[in-house]
Amino acid sequence: MRRDLKEVIFFSACIITTVTAISLLFIILSAILVRGLPAINLEFLTTESKEFGQNGGILYQTMGTFILIGMAGILAFPIALGSAVYQTEYLSLSLRGTADLLVYALNAVPTIIFGLFGYMFFGVFLKLGVSWLTGSFILAIMVLPTVLVSIKEAIESIPFKYLEAGLALGLTQERLVRAVIIPQSIHGMVTGLLLGLARAAGETAAIMFTATTFSGVLLPASFREPVTSLQTHILILAQEAINPRALTNAWGAALVLVALIMLMSLGSMLIRATITHEAER
Amino acid sequence: MWPLGRWRPGVAFFISSFLISISATGIIFIFLIVESFPIFQHEGLGFLSGSEWYPGEVYGALPMIYGTGIVTFIAVSFALPLALGSAVITSEVLSRPTRLVIKMMMELLAGIPGVVYGLLGITLLTTAVKNTFNLIDGNSFFTAGILLSIMILPTVMTLSEDALRSVPKEYRDQALALGLNRSETIFHAVLPGAIKGIAGAVLLGIGRAMGETISVMLVIGSLDRIPQPFYNIFTTGQTITSKLGREGAEALGVGYHWNALAGLGLILFLAVMGITFIGNSIVGPLSGRGINTKRKQKKR
Repeated sequence: MRRDLKEVIFFSACIITTVTAISLLFIILSAILVRGLPAINLEFLTTESKEFGQNGGILYQTMGTFILIGMAGILAFPIALGSAVYQTEYLSLSLRGTADLLVYALNAVPTIIFGLFGYMFFGVFLKLGVSWLTGSFILAIMVLPTVLVSIKEAIESIPFKYLEAGLALGLTQERLVRAVIIPQSIHGMVTGLLLGLARAAGETAAIMFTATTFSGVLLPASFREPVTSLQTHILILAQEAINPRALTNAWGAALVLVALIMLMSLGSMLIRATITHEAER
Repeated sequence: MWPLGRWRPGVAFFISSFLISISATGIIFIFLIVESFPIFQHEGLGFLSGSEWYPGEVYGALPMIYGTGIVTFIAVSFALPLALGSAVITSEVLSRPTRLVIKMMMELLAGIPGVVYGLLGITLLTTAVKNTFNLIDGNSFFTAGILLSIMILPTVMTLSEDALRSVPKEYRDQALALGLNRSETIFHAVLPGAIKGIAGAVLLGIGRAMGETISVMLVIGSLDRIPQPFYNIFTTGQTITSKLGREGAEALGVGYHWNALAGLGLILFLAVMGITFIGNSIVGPLSGRGINTKRKQKKR
């Protein structure tokens, strides 16, 4: 009898926590939807913001976010690819664990520290100032581990047969990389890039005083100009929480940003779920 | 084919990208040490123990260190039971399709940006906390802790669930065959095998909570003080990250104020790195944990 009672208590506790956790998550999603949807219409998406974001839309904020993450992706991708190939194909086995640890350490660095470091390094030392390029460099370092690990996992999951076939044909290590490893890990590159872009799009702390300004800029005309972004737009409007119009627009921008990020993560999940190697079918 | 013999451009490219990837953390670490060095010269250890912070006069980091500690503690205390309970149900009770749906939702939620959580916090949570506990100001350590607990819930839950799933099915079968009921099986056969992974999940969650900036900055009230008495978590305060977020822009690169902020950054960096390192080491052979969702890997 006591055993049964314990069983019941344990499972009820677990079920209560599960229901709480899941309803919390539903509350969050529905709060974003319910508050964001009224703000969104074609005009909101396609016009520039006016009166410090209280009126008008978020066109240039959205474009700013795309510019920042696009350039970050372009900068991070080749480095991630090169490093993933080196770590899986060239690096001696005894050093791989240490290399992994260092990559994971980079992933754990608090993003505000990337902001401080990035501003001093790219902004001051490389004289880029507060500009979108500084922001993209910072975001590129920040998402590098995400992209790298994804590509590395894809390379590690290539069936060994493929490599044996390549080696049996007499391919050199470098040919093997070009003919087998890179083509067979393209799905990892795409998912990694999507996850990395999603992570960059959600980042505010690292770019808020290094790459963006609140208003008064449209599209950057050079490398050294700041942009506006959805993230920082939400941040500024959120701090004016007493003003209902500012708040509505903040929720609208938040919904657009969340939708953007979720689309990218869903895309990566879909690719991950559908990919199978020919040899394993 | 290549003029430089064995030194091939492809390999050179691989090596240089590898060097960038592995040295970035070290460079940031050195940067923080160099930039914060003057403040440790200026304030000595008083920088760590001082509780006054007036730019231009005195810099004491204790209120911020306290804030980061207490907020992280609140976040983990709330997130852990929720994450563990739902991980047990998801891994041990639910059917495979339901489990996949829940894990997918968790992964999507882990992607919601901090600034959106901050917006939720500033509009919904602060008011709720204010009314529930009859406070004058809804911005407090407690509010920030709760918000962080919601933010780290998906991470801790997903990783704990992975840990539970990684316990071989045979363990459960044997325990059941011995006549243990399901909760006893979980306690005596599953949890002991998964405890390392769960500890790792919690440590990685702590690391995330400590480093989160924007959402905390929006709901903590940003006042550098240690509450009286020290366990009064319903007062406004400051964490290391919210301090850096608030004052980073005005102090960038200038004088002791900047050095002091870099010092705060260094403290945060060391704490997060230490915790993440321990977390990654006990989770065992590194494989995507805490970065992307773990996938089954083939040994090569």
